[in-house]
Amino acid sequence: MSVRVQPELRNQLIQFGIGDWNACYHCGTCTAQCPLSEEGFLFPRKKIRLMQMGLKNELEASVEPWLCYYCGDCSTSCPRDANPGELMMSLRRYLTSIYDWTGMSKKFYTSELWELGFIIAFAALVVLSFLIVLPSMGYHFTRELTAEGGVQVNAFAPIHVVETFDWTMAAIVASLLISNILRMYYKIIWKYGNMKVSIWVHIREFWLLILNFTVQPKFNKCDDKRYWLSHWFLMSGYTIMFIVIVVYLPWFQTEKILPVWHPQRLLGYYATFGLLFGLFVAIIGRIQRKDIKFLFSHISDWLFLAMLTLTAITGILIHIFRITGMPVATYISYIAHMSVLVPMILIEVPFSKWSHLAYRPFAVYFQQLKKYAVPR
Amino acid sequence: MRSKEITGLFFYNHSGLYPDPIDYSELIRYSYLFENVAKAYTYSDFIWNEKNILKKIEENNFKRIIIAGLIPGTVKALFSKAMALAGKDPEKVLLASFNDYCTGTLFNPERLKIVLASIISGIPYEFTGIPDELPVNNATLVVGGGISGIQAALEIAYSNNLVYLVEKSGTIGGKMATFDKTFPTLDCAACILTPKMVEVNQHPNIRLMSYSEIIEVTGRPGNFNVKVLKKARKVNVQTCIGCGTCAEKCPAQAPSEFDAGTCMRKAIYIPFPQAVPNKYLVDAENCIYLKNGKCKACVKACPVPGCIDLDEQDSEVIINVGNIIIATGYKPFDAGRMTQFGYGQFPNVLNSLEFERLLNASGPTSGNIHFRSQDKKGNWIFNTSTGKPEKIAIIHCVGSRDKNFNKYCSRVCCMYSLKFAHLIMEKLPEAEIFEYFIDMRSFGKGYEEFYERIKQEDVSIIRGKTAKVEQHGEKLFLRGEDILKGEILENLVDMVILSVGLESGEDAGKISEMLNIATNTDGWFEEAHYNLDPTGTCRGGIFLAGTCQGPKDIPDCVAQGSAAAARVIQSILKGRIRDDSMSVSLEHVERKIEELSTVPI
Repeated sequence: MSVRVQPELRNQLIQFGIGDWNACYHCGTCTAQCPLSEEGFLFPRKKIRLMQMGLKNELEASVEPWLCYYCGDCSTSCPRDANPGELMMSLRRYLTSIYDWTGMSKKFYTSELWELGFIIAFAALVVLSFLIVLPSMGYHFTRELTAEGGVQVNAFAPIHVVETFDWTMAAIVASLLISNILRMYYKIIWKYGNMKVSIWVHIREFWLLILNFTVQPKFNKCDDKRYWLSHWFLMSGYTIMFIVIVVYLPWFQTEKILPVWHPQRLLGYYATFGLLFGLFVAIIGRIQRKDIKFLFSHISDWLFLAMLTLTAITGILIHIFRITGMPVATYISYIAHMSVLVPMILIEVPFSKWSHLAYRPFAVYFQQLKKYAVPR
Repeated sequence: MRSKEITGLFFYNHSGLYPDPIDYSELIRYSYLFENVAKAYTYSDFIWNEKNILKKIEENNFKRIIIAGLIPGTVKALFSKAMALAGKDPEKVLLASFNDYCTGTLFNPERLKIVLASIISGIPYEFTGIPDELPVNNATLVVGGGISGIQAALEIAYSNNLVYLVEKSGTIGGKMATFDKTFPTLDCAACILTPKMVEVNQHPNIRLMSYSEIIEVTGRPGNFNVKVLKKARKVNVQTCIGCGTCAEKCPAQAPSEFDAGTCMRKAIYIPFPQAVPNKYLVDAENCIYLKNGKCKACVKACPVPGCIDLDEQDSEVIINVGNIIIATGYKPFDAGRMTQFGYGQFPNVLNSLEFERLLNASGPTSGNIHFRSQDKKGNWIFNTSTGKPEKIAIIHCVGSRDKNFNKYCSRVCCMYSLKFAHLIMEKLPEAEIFEYFIDMRSFGKGYEEFYERIKQEDVSIIRGKTAKVEQHGEKLFLRGEDILKGEILENLVDMVILSVGLESGEDAGKISEMLNIATNTDGWFEEAHYNLDPTGTCRGGIFLAGTCQGPKDIPDCVAQGSAAAARVIQSILKGRIRDDSMSVSLEHVERKIEELSTVPI
């Protein structure tokens, strides 16, 4: 396969983050330092080389940026202040935009106006549907409390309507993500990788995908183990919340106030704790900027953290107001909750930072496939 | 005013210094006093590209352009091209560098104006900025007795002039005396250096003051009064016969400085057997008598009555000299600062000076390569009782070319590391050697050939620096990326040698203050002009030689030693010496410009 140099790559990449890859003089310290870098999958230096040379196709075909969990050891030891860790982060943003066929991802990453505009538009749609569409369908909020003294949430936001909406949203997001993953597969294995992998290998190595989705064992291979735990709490909290809200909404959004030990409440409390703990570590880190991992913050990092925090806080408020029987407050926080949650899921999951929930485990899976691949 | 052409002045204030120490608005105001300056711009006024510059040239009809600032040559090509495009003479683009002409690290505004005035008026600084001449004392002081100092002292002494050679330690010879071989010729360092050292000691024109330091310098060029602190040697240099009986009896031990701490010496000691002067001295910090008031074993053992006087005190001498040559050398980078390589934690991680002693036939193991082990008193030293390494790794660029430590290249490490590889092959033909390098800088005459030669020998030369060294049992574990092969290289070796870089000497700051000469941000002494006067300083009668000016190898040190001596001899022959460059005032320069403008060409 011929190698094509694309000098304009520099101008494209520069929009996705901070870093000076021309500073790199290829001493190899970063690769040697990285416990995740392994035979055949060398990074960060090799990827910086591709960036310097403008080898766009090779960059798009690489899984390595997704194998990096940004402990920052490479940036600390870099003798040239080239910040290889941040360059990998920028590459992940770039790759997200490359996998995305709609072109929205690139817009969101490179223009704050687009990202903020869409968030506000989605939020406005949510508010409007609560204030106009639902009442016109005959669902009004009521100040009447249930027999136990709780708020009648379902009168205001009927389960079957919300559930239908949830499933629609999940379907849109999933179809976008899956199509992007197929493009990722195409680029990594098929087009530029130019290799053949048997179907049996695909099936045999599938367990890696599930393992990496659930516990991120690679993250724990970093020398700095602290962030694996906080990330895992955040991830597990979010996943539980997502499954409960989309799949088991009738079981979760009840008007009946269940006892504290009931699995519904326990799961909810665990998920809230996990989310808050992970968010706390990330936000404090990004404010303090002591750790090299948090030294550079792209606008998308902050927006994501802000939206997730708002979602968590409004979720807690709904719960508190519902069981204490404060209908107006409950409804307001419900609207607020939905108007942050909807843009977050619609924008962050398929197009922005949140998409790594799919790309990272798939990258590990594809890496494994590459190991067993034969040249086509 | 020699130049009448319409001049455009461009200040290249893109210096990279924060905050910028130069007040450009003041300089612009000053430059407008000259009638031929039509317009002055700074880098921040407009975007400096060909198109914009061309526009400015055509707007103002510039016939001549001056770019002034720090390293203005960076942007010269732009202006030459724009001048050519405008149909003007592209040769008429002149540079006024603020780095040269003794503007100092603080960029003295008056000096900057002198530089500007000279170039704007078209009369070179070399004519306008000439300082007054003063009478000169024929005696010279050389500070530092390393190879550069020795060379300079001998050159001047052979011209029949008096030289004082002041050396801080107990022997002259400096770092070179500790080396085993020199690259690329593989000469035995001691064999070529020690005859010169003896020559210094025996020369009638050289007054050798070892174990002494300069503490105060007063006076003007041509007539300096230097106060020298003669540290108490506590052994009479005249009567000591160098028999060594005292050291045999001495009960106190300390790590030997000359051997880079690889073995122990006594508290009364001679730095090494070929030391010059070949006389003993007492280490006051470790002497038991000086600590407790009891012992005097050496005094009892000494066969010469009255030779050892443990109660001797430091004394001061004032010498009067015309010129001073600074040759204070360097200090090796402290490898312990790069904690990832484990120097100081793992016994078999060595720095290059220690390994140099290990290779040396006069070193602690008589030139055999052995492991470091603990002696009975717990000191980590080298001796022949331990085994020999089978795999040795050499890591280049330790502390050099690293923004976290020293940004600059130390110039000599690549070559001495290759030399190490060769010497290890000579001594341990079975050993495997791994050189981890970033870029191989074999820059000198015969150096690239030496590199090619080492490549032919069975040495693994790996492109890619290791990230860290870990102790795995008895062995040392290294993980690195082999960049040329594109794979991770994991390696278990017995010994790691860190090729440490060069840093400015410990006393550089003190000396720069004492003599009022500038150092750059890395602590190296600043020369008068980077290209054209690398031995001179901005002060008259003070010259630089050797590594105190910047990292360099032995041939360059010797060359610079000779060059500094030539400058000294020049002033002695002439009988007069130029005053400090800084002593020239702006009025003097302006007067000079007036005068010279009337001279017909």
